[in-house]
Formats: sequence, structure tokens, C-alpha cells
Amino acid sequence: MKCEWVRESIVLYVYGELADDARHELEQHVARCEDCAAELKAEQSFHALLSRDRAEDPTPNLLAASRMRLQEALETAHQGAWWHRLAFDPANWLRQVRFSPALASAILILGFAGGVGTTYKVYGTRTPVIPPPSQNQAPSDASIAGIESVTQNPGSNQISIKYNTVSTQEAQGSLNDQRIQQLLLYAARSNYNSGVRVDSVDLLAQKTNDMQVREALMYALQNDTNPGVRLKSLSALGNYVKDDVNVRDAVLRALVNDTNSGVRIEALRLLEPVKADGSVRGVLMALAAKDQSTYIKSQARTMLAQLPEID
Amino acid sequence: MAGLDRQTQDRRIDDTMLIREAQRGNRAAFEELVRHYDQSVLRLALHLTGTEHDAQDVYQDAFLKAYKNIGSFRFECSFYTWIYRIVTNLCLDHLRRKNVRKEDAPVAKDADGGEYDLLDQVADGRAGANPERDLMRRQLGARIAGALEKLTPRERMVFELKHYHGLKLRTVGEILHTTEETAKNTLFRATQKLRGALADMR
Repeated sequence: MKCEWVRESIVLYVYGELADDARHELEQHVARCEDCAAELKAEQSFHALLSRDRAEDPTPNLLAASRMRLQEALETAHQGAWWHRLAFDPANWLRQVRFSPALASAILILGFAGGVGTTYKVYGTRTPVIPPPSQNQAPSDASIAGIESVTQNPGSNQISIKYNTVSTQEAQGSLNDQRIQQLLLYAARSNYNSGVRVDSVDLLAQKTNDMQVREALMYALQNDTNPGVRLKSLSALGNYVKDDVNVRDAVLRALVNDTNSGVRIEALRLLEPVKADGSVRGVLMALAAKDQSTYIKSQARTMLAQLPEID
Repeated sequence: MAGLDRQTQDRRIDDTMLIREAQRGNRAAFEELVRHYDQSVLRLALHLTGTEHDAQDVYQDAFLKAYKNIGSFRFECSFYTWIYRIVTNLCLDHLRRKNVRKEDAPVAKDADGGEYDLLDQVADGRAGANPERDLMRRQLGARIAGALEKLTPRERMVFELKHYHGLKLRTVGEILHTTEETAKNTLFRATQKLRGALADMR
């Protein structure tokens, strides 16, 4: 019995997977039992033999190629739908609410739109519950956005709870519809799901003659955390670098400050028609002198070289 | 030792923040997270699949899957375990497909024949400082690779994670959705088989 246990445990012993007491027991046994000692020796020499062969590390080339391929695929990949996260991860959802005043207010607004300020009356346990007809459905936990107040009427056992609800609404209409535009502008600025922001920016890109839309796009270009959204806003703004100084400044800011080199290269390309402009020229000179990206440095130099000399 | 613990702890906190960011759709954070793990993932995939091409496919599929599903990661296990679950599942699929292909092949695989081919290649390859020892090492590698292929996908995976990657069997069990006890038994079976297959080697 003991020998059988030892035979089965020798592998674990060799791999350092035996608990202290079991290891001690095994060592004691092996000191006394010749067969098991031979078995241990055989296992150890087999282990040594195997250990002469090791898993090779991937070459730096393979690693770099894999990373690049993944990055490309991520550009177009979408994360799980946002309602997925909303529905299945309440902790994360709450965190979002806590950290994002914009989202919190969005939920409040939605709450109002969904028929807010319902007063839900809870009766004491002894009195029979007679809910008013319009409020006879207790809301499920998930649809409560927040409790506004809880008050007990003095001298009675009635409690009033004011709470806001979230309900999903749907709006349909053409891009010319004022309401659709408002919602898109809101989504481009505030939605925490980057997929929705990309879609909104994509649609707004068709309405760039509207000043409000342009502002939203500039906001996205400067503040959005997702480089895909920034890139889309940038492309949409491209036609205005000539005529709109604010747009030009925004694109310049993206060129200088953006963390994503794709966005920066696109910004540089868009500024090509206005490279003679004083502010653009200044930025180009700074980039040509010292920029981390050799590509941008050399592009800036080329663009400057094509400019007529002005002194 | 304390310094090392501190480092792991820092990495954990760092990861947690990156995961939260990635869950909010921040791709840069996800890419940073990838860089913390991708070297060992690629090493595992490379050794298991045996070709750079297949290893790259596993790498790609694993991290894309992780990206798409990171919203459902709920910190119940470490991110390491989570990502390894995805990778090992993909590798197991790969091994199973490979086994099916092997059985379907009209010509039975001759282990010795394969070996000689490998040895031929080595013989006219570059001559190291000690060609004889180099040859022995390659020969050993080829023999071990052949023996590993005879394990079942699950035995192979447990052995791989324990022997080549030095993971604790408890972690191996967690990754493979099984108990530490089962992982122990599987490791035992795998080493028995390997010892049998490599009995003539010394």
C-alpha cells in the first residue's frame, strides 16, 4: 500500500508539488525501501533528461509580427454589446455611474423621459396592500436608476419613496430630424460604448456644415479615448481645415498631442493644403526638428521643403 | 523575495486598472495588457502547435476573443488564469484537430522515419562548436516531440503547463476547469507514458 502511494507520488515529489508532510513521509520511506529508492532515482534521471530540452522563447520577430497582426485586427473588432455589460455586470455598471457625471446625468434624463418621479407607496405589513392601479407593478431592481428620497409620514405607517427609472426608448427619423441630431450629438460626446460613438460620429460626418456638429466632432477629436472615434472625427473635419480656423487648430492639436500615431499621420495629411499657414508652419518646424516618430519627422520636413521660402 | 512579491502585487494593481479601462472600450489599455502576457502565451502556443504559423493563429484568436469578452471578466480569478483558459482551449482544439488529421492520413505515421528526416536536416545544417553534442540535443528534442504527440490533448496540456511553464498544479487545474487532484492524476499518466516512449533514451 505504502509503496503504491510512493510510486504515484514520486512525480509530484520531483515537480515539488508534494505538501511538506507528504514529502517528509516519502523521503522516510525511500530511505528504507530499496525498490522505491530505485524508482525515485529513475524518475529523477528521466526528469533530468527531459529538462535538457526546453521550450524555446519566440523570436523577437515572431512576437513583433504577432503584435502587429493583432493590432490591425483590433482596429475593426468590436467589443461585446454594451447592454451585455449593463445587464451582466452591475458592479462595473455602478462604477461607470460613479465615475462618469455625464453618464449619471444621462441616466437621470432618461429616467425623466421614461416617466419619472413615480411615487411608490409601501404599506406597513399589517395593513392590506392596495396599490393604485397605475403603480401596481413593482419595478425590477435593474430598472431603478436611483432613489431620490425616502420619507415616513409622521404619525402613520406609510412610507413614500421617490425613485427614478431607466427605460430604453427608441427614436427613429432621418438625419435631418432635429431630435435624431440631438441624440447623435449627445451620443458622440457622452456614450461610454466606443462602438456607439463611432456610429454616431460616422453619421454626423454627413452634417458637417452644421456648426454644432462640427463642435461635437472637434470635441471627440480632442477628448475621445478611442483612437477609432478620433480618426473618424478627424476625417469628417478634413474639408474644413481651410475655411474654419477652429477646425484647423483642433487638427493641429491632434497632430501635436494625440497618442495614436495613426491619428497624427492622418492629421498631418489633412493639413497638407494649408501648410503655408503661419500656425501650421510653426508646428511643422517643431515636428521636423524633433519628433519621436521618424515618419512624422520626415513627412514634416518634406512638407516644409515644398514651401516657398519666406523671410 | 519581498521585492518580488511587491512587484507581482504592483503588476496586479496595474492589471486591474488596465482591465477596467479596457472594459470601458479603451483599446490602448487592452494592448498594454496584451504586452504583459503575450510572450508567455506565444511561447506556449509555439511549443504546443510546433509551427510559428499555427502559434500566430492561436495568439491572434486568443487575444481577439479576450478583447471581445473582456466585458464579462469579473475578477473572480486572476487575469492570468482567464487568458490562459482562452489560450489552452484554443490549443486543445488545435491538438484535437491535429489528432483527427493524423488518424485520417492514409499512411500510418512512422516515428522513426520522421526522425531520420530531421536528423538529415541537422547533419547538413550549420556546424556548431560541438556538432556531436548539438546533434544529440536535436535528436533528443525530436524524440521528445514525438513522444509528446502520443499523449492525449489533455495530458499534453497538463504536462506542458507543468513541465515547460512551471505552473503550480492548482493553477493548472483552475485553468483547465478541473480539480488539482485530477491535474495530478493527469500529470502522473502523462509522465508514465513519456517514460515508456523514451525508455531507450539515456
